Amino acid sequence: MHLPTAESAADASIKHTMADMANTVLNMVISGHEDGKDQESHHPDAQTDSANPGPSNADAGLHSLTQEHSNDSSQDNSASASTPTTQAIEDENDPAWSVATATTAHSSIDDTIVLQDNVPPTHPFAAPDMSLLFDYNPAPLLLLSSSCCITRVSKRFCQDWHVTEEECIGKFLVPFLESQVRESAFSKTKYIAEAVDDAVASRSERTSKAITVKSSFTCRARVVPIFRGAELVSIQLEWSERPTSEVLDNEFVQPGLSTDEAFRILVQALKDYAIFLLDTKGHIATWNTGAQLLKGYTREEIIGKHFSIFYGKEDLDIKKPDMELDICLREGRVEDEGWRYKKDGTRFWANVVITAVYKNGVHVGFGKVTRDLTERKASESRLIAAYEESEKLKSDFLANMSHEIRTPMHGMLSACALLLDSPLTERQRDIVNIMDESGQILLQVINDILDYSKLASGSFAVSSDVVGVASIITSVVRGVQTTLPPAVHFELFLAPNLPKSVQGDPLRYRQIVQNIVGNAAKFTDKGSIRVKASVHSEDSDSYTLLTEVIDTGIGIRESASASLFTPFSQFDLTTTKRYKGTGLGLSIAKSLAELMGGRIGYRPNPERHGSVFWFTARFKKIKSLEQISDWKHQMAAKDGSPISPVQPDVTVLQKRLASVANRKSILLVEDNIINQKVMLGMLRSLGFKSIELAADGAAAVKMVTGKPVGYDLVLMDINMPILDGHEASQKIRDAQVKVPIIAMTAYALKGDREKCLEYGMNDYVPKPVDRKYLIKVLATWLLEKVDYRKAYDERLQQLKSCDEKLHRLSVSERAAVAIARRESGGEELKPLAGEKGVKGWSTPFKEGEVSENAGVVQGTFDEPACTKIPDQVEKTERPNENNGIGTFQETAPGFDGDEQQQLPEPALSDGDVSPKTPGASMAQPPLESAGEEAKVEEDAKA
Amino acid sequence: MHSHYDDDREDQDTMPDFGEHVDNGIFEQILEMDDDDKREFSKSLVTNFFDQAEETFVKIEELLNTDKLDNGKRLEQLSSLGHFLKGSSATLGFNKIRDSCQIIQQYGHKLNVDGTPEQNEQVCLDRIKAALKTARNDKDVLADMMLNETHGFFQPDEE
Repeated sequence: MHLPTAESAADASIKHTMADMANTVLNMVISGHEDGKDQESHHPDAQTDSANPGPSNADAGLHSLTQEHSNDSSQDNSASASTPTTQAIEDENDPAWSVATATTAHSSIDDTIVLQDNVPPTHPFAAPDMSLLFDYNPAPLLLLSSSCCITRVSKRFCQDWHVTEEECIGKFLVPFLESQVRESAFSKTKYIAEAVDDAVASRSERTSKAITVKSSFTCRARVVPIFRGAELVSIQLEWSERPTSEVLDNEFVQPGLSTDEAFRILVQALKDYAIFLLDTKGHIATWNTGAQLLKGYTREEIIGKHFSIFYGKEDLDIKKPDMELDICLREGRVEDEGWRYKKDGTRFWANVVITAVYKNGVHVGFGKVTRDLTERKASESRLIAAYEESEKLKSDFLANMSHEIRTPMHGMLSACALLLDSPLTERQRDIVNIMDESGQILLQVINDILDYSKLASGSFAVSSDVVGVASIITSVVRGVQTTLPPAVHFELFLAPNLPKSVQGDPLRYRQIVQNIVGNAAKFTDKGSIRVKASVHSEDSDSYTLLTEVIDTGIGIRESASASLFTPFSQFDLTTTKRYKGTGLGLSIAKSLAELMGGRIGYRPNPERHGSVFWFTARFKKIKSLEQISDWKHQMAAKDGSPISPVQPDVTVLQKRLASVANRKSILLVEDNIINQKVMLGMLRSLGFKSIELAADGAAAVKMVTGKPVGYDLVLMDINMPILDGHEASQKIRDAQVKVPIIAMTAYALKGDREKCLEYGMNDYVPKPVDRKYLIKVLATWLLEKVDYRKAYDERLQQLKSCDEKLHRLSVSERAAVAIARRESGGEELKPLAGEKGVKGWSTPFKEGEVSENAGVVQGTFDEPACTKIPDQVEKTERPNENNGIGTFQETAPGFDGDEQQQLPEPALSDGDVSPKTPGASMAQPPLESAGEEAKVEEDAKA
Repeated sequence: MHSHYDDDREDQDTMPDFGEHVDNGIFEQILEMDDDDKREFSKSLVTNFFDQAEETFVKIEELLNTDKLDNGKRLEQLSSLGHFLKGSSATLGFNKIRDSCQIIQQYGHKLNVDGTPEQNEQVCLDRIKAALKTARNDKDVLADMMLNETHGFFQPDEE
C-alpha cells in the first residue's frame, strides 16, 4: 500500500537516491509492520507462516475484529505518508539524517535490490527523502546502531517523550532509557534490552514488555532488527502505548507475539471452553479445541452447519436457537443453561453465552462460548438431595419431638391443675400457680417452635370445625386481660353482622388472635387495647372476617415494621429483653392467616402512638345446629391427647347401652330384607326391643312425621327406592323433627359423611355395619347426647356438662358463652315441631344457668362499649334487641358477687363453676390442659 | 347331635375356611347373633340371601336380555339392582359376590371400576354380563359351602 505512494511521490534527485532507497526499505518495513494486521485480514496468504496455521476466513474475521484500531492507525499512516512532500527541503538538511545514512545507507542498496525487485534503485518516482517519512511517522520511532547506540529519533518520539534529538543521539539505549524512567523502574528497562537482544538474535521482530516513562505514559517497543545479509545494520524501535490489559501485557504478550495472535492461540488452545463464531444466520464459522473436545465434532465436520445441531428436541420445538439469536441481537448478549447434545448423542449440561459481534457497526455474527457444567449440575443435585434429606429428617425429628415434649408437659400441667384443685395454703397456691404459669409459657414456646417448623416445612393442615369468632375473641381477651396493668383498658367491638358461628379452624384462628392480642398487651402499658371483629366480605358460602387489634402501646419503629413478620425477628433486641418470646409469633400468625385464606398486616395507630395489627381469614358458612353439635362429637372422638379421658371400652358402652335400650325406640329404614334382618338381629342383641321398620324413605318420612317425638333414633339406609335416605332426612328436617338420624351406607368414601351432614343427618355408620362401631355411635346418640325432645337450653346445658373442661372455666369464660348465646339470637332456637308444651321458649334458660355475662364488654361499632374490664361488674349487655321468639333473661340469678371476685384470675385457676351449672351432672373426665376445646364447646352452644 | 357339633365348633372357635368368598369377621358377627346353639338366625339369613341373590340375578338377566328399554334405562336399573345385592352381600360378608355387584353397579353408572367414565354403553352391558356370570358362579360355590346337605356349613334341620 505504501509502495505506490512512495513511487508516485518520488523525486528524481540522484544525490539522494541511495538514501531514498534505504528509506524506502525502512518505510516498507515500518509500514509493512504497521499494516501487518491489515494485510493479514486482506491476504490470507500472509498468515501461512504465522504461529497460527488456521487459514479460515472466519478466523481472520475474528482477528480483524479485535484489531480495528490497528487498521485505523494504518490508514492514518498511509494517509500521512502520501502527503508531506512539501517538507522535503527542510528535512534534507537534518543533521540527524546524515548520521543515519552514514551507518545504514551504504549497505541498504543491495538488500533493497535483492528483496524488492519491483522497486528499481533509481526509479524516477522514488521517494525524495525518506527521513521526512521517518520523522513524520505517527509512531514514535527510534533507530539504533548495531551497538545499540541511538542514531536517530523521530519527531513524534521527541514529542511524546519530551526529549530533544540532542538528548538522544549518540546515547546508548539502556542509559538513555534509565534517564527516562523513574528510578524505581530501572529494572524495567531491561525489557527493552531483552527485546532488542532477542530480536537481533532471532533476526525477527519482537515486542517488548511495557515500561513506564517519566512523563508517565506506559509504552512498549516493537523491535525490528534490520539486516543486510548477516550484518546487522540497524535496529528500529517503534513505540506504542501499551494495551490497557495488564494480563495481556504480562502473561500473554510475549516478545514477538502480537495480541491478536495471542488471542487466536488462546482461543484455539482452550480445552475447557468451546469458543466459536457463528455467522449472522447462526452457521458455525470457527471451531476451537475446546469445542471439538466438548461436542465431539471435528472442525471439518462442523463448519458451516447450523448451531441448532447442538440442541435437543424440546429446545428445537420451542425454537430456542432462533430465539436466542433474536434476544442476542436485541440485548447484545444472551446466556442460557440447559442440555446440549454431542455428536455421539450424549448430552451435557451446558452454560452458553452468545454475544452479538459487530465489525465497524455492522453485525457480522455471534460469538458463542459453551461450558460443560454437567459435573457441577450433578453435584448441585446431590447437594439439593442431601439438603432435602436433612430437611426431612429434621421435620421428622421435630414431629416426633413434638409429641415427646408435649406429653410430659401436658402431664405436668394437668398435675398442676389437679393440685390447684386441692386444698392448699395461700403460699402453696402461689407456688403452684407459678409452676402452672411457667409451664403454660414453656408449652407455648415449644408449640411456637414446633408450629413454626411445621409451617416452614409446609406440613401444616388446617382443620374444619366450628368457629365461634365472638367467643374466641372474648375468651382470648379475657385471658390476656388478667395480665394487664390496671391502666390499660380493653375494648371489644363486635360488628352486629358478625356471624355467631362459622366453619373453619378454631384453634388456628384463636392462635392468631391470641398472638396479636397478646403482643398488644405485652407492649401496652397504658391506654387501651381495642379488638374489633367485622365481616370484611361475604359470598354465598363463606365469610371473610377482619379482626383488628389497635393498641396505644410503644408502637413500632418504621424501620422495624418491614421485618415484623420475619421469623426470629424481635422488635426488642435490647439485652434486658423486657419482652420475652421466641420472635416467631407474628411469623406463625402470618402463615396461619395465609393458610386460612387471609392476610395479616400492620400499620401505625393513626389516632395515637401505638400499633394496629389486622388480619383476615376466610370461613365457610354453616347451616344448622345439628351440624355444630355433630362437629363437637367428631371433635371429641378424635381427641387423642394423652390426658384426655380414656375412651370407654366397647363392652362398657354396650352395658350402658343395654341398660337404656329397652326404653329406646328405634326406626330402621332399610330396603334390603337381608340387611333388615341383620340390623334387627344386631339391635336386638344389644337389648333394643322397640324397633320399627321402614322399607323405603317415603315410608320413613311418613312414620317419623306421624310420630315426631316417637323415635329416639333413626337408622337410615341411603340408597333406597322411592325416596332415598338423603331426601328422606331432608324431609324429616323440613318437618322440624330433630330426631337423630344415623346414615348407613356401603363403601364409605371421604365426603360421604359430609354429604350426610348436609342433608341434615347426624352421623354415619359404614356398611357392612360393624357391631362395635354401631355400639359407639348408638352410645353417642342415646347416652351422651341430650334427648332431642328436650328443650334446647337443656341441651346446651348438657353439652356443656359433657365438656370435661367447662367445670373449670372461670366466670369470664362463661361470659363468653353467654355472649355467644346471645349472639346466636333466635334463629337457631326455633321451637321444635311437636315440641311438648313449648314451655321453654319464652325463657329458654333455666334459672341458675342463664347467661352469666360479665367481664367482657360487648360493644358494637356504632355504640362501642369502652369499659375497663376488671372493674366491669355490672351487666353491660346490649338490651334485648334480639329475636322475636326467645327473650333472654338478662338478669342472672346465679350471678353474684362471689363470681365477680374471680374475674381477674387466670382461666385455669379455679374449678368451682360446675356447681352452678345444674346440667353438669355427668361424671367429669379428668382435667384438660388448654382451653381450645372449651371454646369450641361454647361455639357449639351458640 | 347338631348342637353337639355346634358346641364343638364354638369351643374350638373354628370357622370353616370360605376363602375369598367370605369376610370371616363380618360373618362371625352374624353368627354371634344366633340366640342359641342352633344357627337358626344366621341360617335363615344365608338362605334368604341366596334366594334374594337368585331373584336379583334373574332380574339382571332379564334386563340384559330385554329389548323393551333403551340402554340408558337398562343400565340405570342394573346399577340399582347391583347396589341392592351389594348391600346384603356386604352385610353378610360375602365379599366375592359383593365385588361382582359393585362392578354391576359401577358399569350401570357407566363408570369403570376405578371410577373413570365408560361412555360405551355396550361395553358396560358386556361387563355387567360378565360380572353376573362371575357372581352366579361365586354364589353357587358359596351356596355349596354353606348349605350342602353333607359338607355344608349349615346342616339341614332334622325336623
